[in-house]
Amino acid sequence: MSDEIVTLAHGAGGLQTRELIEKVFAKAFAGPRFTSDDAALLGLGTDKIALTTDGFVVSPAFFPGGDIGKLSVCGTVNDLSCMCARPRYLTCSFIIEEGFDMSSLEKIASSMADAAREAGAEIVAGDTKVVGRGQCQGVFITTAGVGTLEGGKTGGAFVREGDAVIVTGDVGRQGCAILIARGGYGIKADIDSDCAPLWNLVKAAIDTGEEIHAVRDATRGGLATVLSEIAEQSGLCVEIDEQAVPVDEKVKGFCGLLGLDPMYMACEGRMVIFAPKNGAEKLLRAVRATKYGAGAEIIGEVTRSLAGRVTVRTALGAKRLLAPPSGELLPRIC
Amino acid sequence: MNAETDALARGLKGYDGPEIRIMEVCGTHTHENYRLGIRALLPDKIKLIAGPGCPVCVTPSTFVDKAVWLAQQGVTVCTFGDLVRVPGAAGSLAAARAGGGDIRICYSPLDAVDDAASQPGKQTVFLAVGFETTAPANCLAIKKAQQAGLRNFSLLCACKTMEQAYYKLRGAADAFLYPGHVSAITGMDVYRRLLKEDISGAVAGFTAAELLTALTVITEHLRRGDKFAVNCYTRVVADDGNPAARKLIAEVMEPCGAVWRGIGPIEGSGLAIRDSFADYDAEKRFSIPEPEEKEPAGCRCGTVLRGECAPHDCPLFGKTCTPEHPVGACMVSGEGACAAAYKYGRLQNVG
Amino acid sequence: MCVGLPGRVTEINDGSLTVNVSGAEREVSAELLEKIAVGDYVMIHAGIAIARITAEEAEETQDILGELYGLER
Repeated sequence: MSDEIVTLAHGAGGLQTRELIEKVFAKAFAGPRFTSDDAALLGLGTDKIALTTDGFVVSPAFFPGGDIGKLSVCGTVNDLSCMCARPRYLTCSFIIEEGFDMSSLEKIASSMADAAREAGAEIVAGDTKVVGRGQCQGVFITTAGVGTLEGGKTGGAFVREGDAVIVTGDVGRQGCAILIARGGYGIKADIDSDCAPLWNLVKAAIDTGEEIHAVRDATRGGLATVLSEIAEQSGLCVEIDEQAVPVDEKVKGFCGLLGLDPMYMACEGRMVIFAPKNGAEKLLRAVRATKYGAGAEIIGEVTRSLAGRVTVRTALGAKRLLAPPSGELLPRIC
Repeated sequence: MNAETDALARGLKGYDGPEIRIMEVCGTHTHENYRLGIRALLPDKIKLIAGPGCPVCVTPSTFVDKAVWLAQQGVTVCTFGDLVRVPGAAGSLAAARAGGGDIRICYSPLDAVDDAASQPGKQTVFLAVGFETTAPANCLAIKKAQQAGLRNFSLLCACKTMEQAYYKLRGAADAFLYPGHVSAITGMDVYRRLLKEDISGAVAGFTAAELLTALTVITEHLRRGDKFAVNCYTRVVADDGNPAARKLIAEVMEPCGAVWRGIGPIEGSGLAIRDSFADYDAEKRFSIPEPEEKEPAGCRCGTVLRGECAPHDCPLFGKTCTPEHPVGACMVSGEGACAAAYKYGRLQNVG
Repeated sequence: MCVGLPGRVTEINDGSLTVNVSGAEREVSAELLEKIAVGDYVMIHAGIAIARITAEEAEETQDILGELYGLER
């Protein structure tokens, strides 16, 4: 594109809008079903579908290991995957701040195309708006996705006493990557976001044939939030062994310096799977054989001991509560 | 659990003497004793009481009111993360930020000096809370600003020192679990002075092994009927502490009286910026209105901080007073006695 | 109080040093410590190095308990 920045003209609906779409989005999302019509006409081959949407406003737009584009596709792909639905088609709506750098937008679109392709999904439609300087921060993206069910019903309500708890990799990376991208309080750490599309991982789990009760992607609020939600929704107790939770050494160091707890730091490429104990090892092996599941671990089990709460077995063998996350995570000196 | 901590834990679990009360005076000790599960494994007869070890909890809420006022005047307010959600009469710093105030979280007061240097036209104030561990950093910030010739940097100072507080808390427990990093600055002389007044305790580190060791030392000495002042954090706490840090604090600040929220005034327990550094004292630079300190009705923080009331025994605990909506000092900071009990401790009370 | 973390000194400059904590690095003030060498471990808090760490935790525990129980070493 000859223009270097996005202007209000690009959002006005006229020639410049068409140009922006053709030269940035259509180019990146090129595919047989990509449409500039009002809607994409699709066949899914089934009426067992899952539909979801998510908004992405992360700032800064680029961070170690990813960008807002990759995030917007992975977030929606992963939400569908949690329902055991194969991601099929995505739409994306962009709200772009006047003055946003065009080459950054191209990079974001390219990241989205890559992530969708990896997930086996197609971006088929979208929308673009441009707002005045200061009316949004950089670019906001909303994606919606439709998928076709390939597994059984999952959810917090299906979790049972005796279920094993599996986390598919080390936690807290996204949260650290964002803080680092914002300056990291002067701390330098080589931590990449874990942002990744996880349909293939979930499919591998489904294909074992083992019963799966819940799959939840850990995002904002990290692992702790997922565990708390499942405990609450199931009315059971989620008991975690602290030492079994995988945390990268660098994440420990970065969080340690700031007094932050990795269990509460955001993830963007991690699933927490609840499944009957007798199938857990087989599920674990299948997940570990996938690209983003190599670090998967069984971290605990579901019991009846304390309804609706999460308990943690510490390195000393004692049990304490895991508090549900609340409010923004603040670095501390105390 | 490794063999070492296993042995220490078993030793403590097997305690069969009379009930002993040990007071934590370091917010991080309170936090870690819960988080590591040490509280859960101690027998009922070894009672850990969370004392006033969290500087945020013992800072009067009027300090937040002053900070919010500064933000409303267009001053850049730099702060440790710990203070951001503490409610004052006119709201918290988080609320002030939502209202357009320039509130910045800093890892170090030295970073706030850099911020000031990068915006010479704007006043920058750092909210200097903390005990002896943090005082050196706050003092270094003033020296750094002075060396850089900055005219737009100052501290709103609410630094405190621990020594006088121990006398005030005498009798609240059989022994103190002395703060590890405060001691790294002060050294052991403080505790030898306290020992002369029959106040006992042990300095503890922060790992499971270090905390269990200190608790073992305390328990054993109490069993023997000893009065004692033991350093159980020798790898960090030199007997003489950090003389350079003390010299710096003495150069920039001087002792003064201070009000401890929930406890009241304690003579000689505060640090005020010396006149020679008046240029860096926000109280002198700005005419900050003196807000009225109002303790919320029904709040029992004072008794909690003195170890006379357990968090669970406060009628407001967990009901009207929660970490999301804190009423009093003990709930406001993540390491306050009540916040820690709420976050981690209800397992024991739920059964 | 306080969140303090042991860090390995990887670089020393004038009045400041770089510490490495499990791969996370930060520059902190060295003004309050003397005779620090690269490879030393220091305790850092709020952007300054407040103490040099002089032993391993295991050694420390052993010494303290040894003294408590009057054991010969």
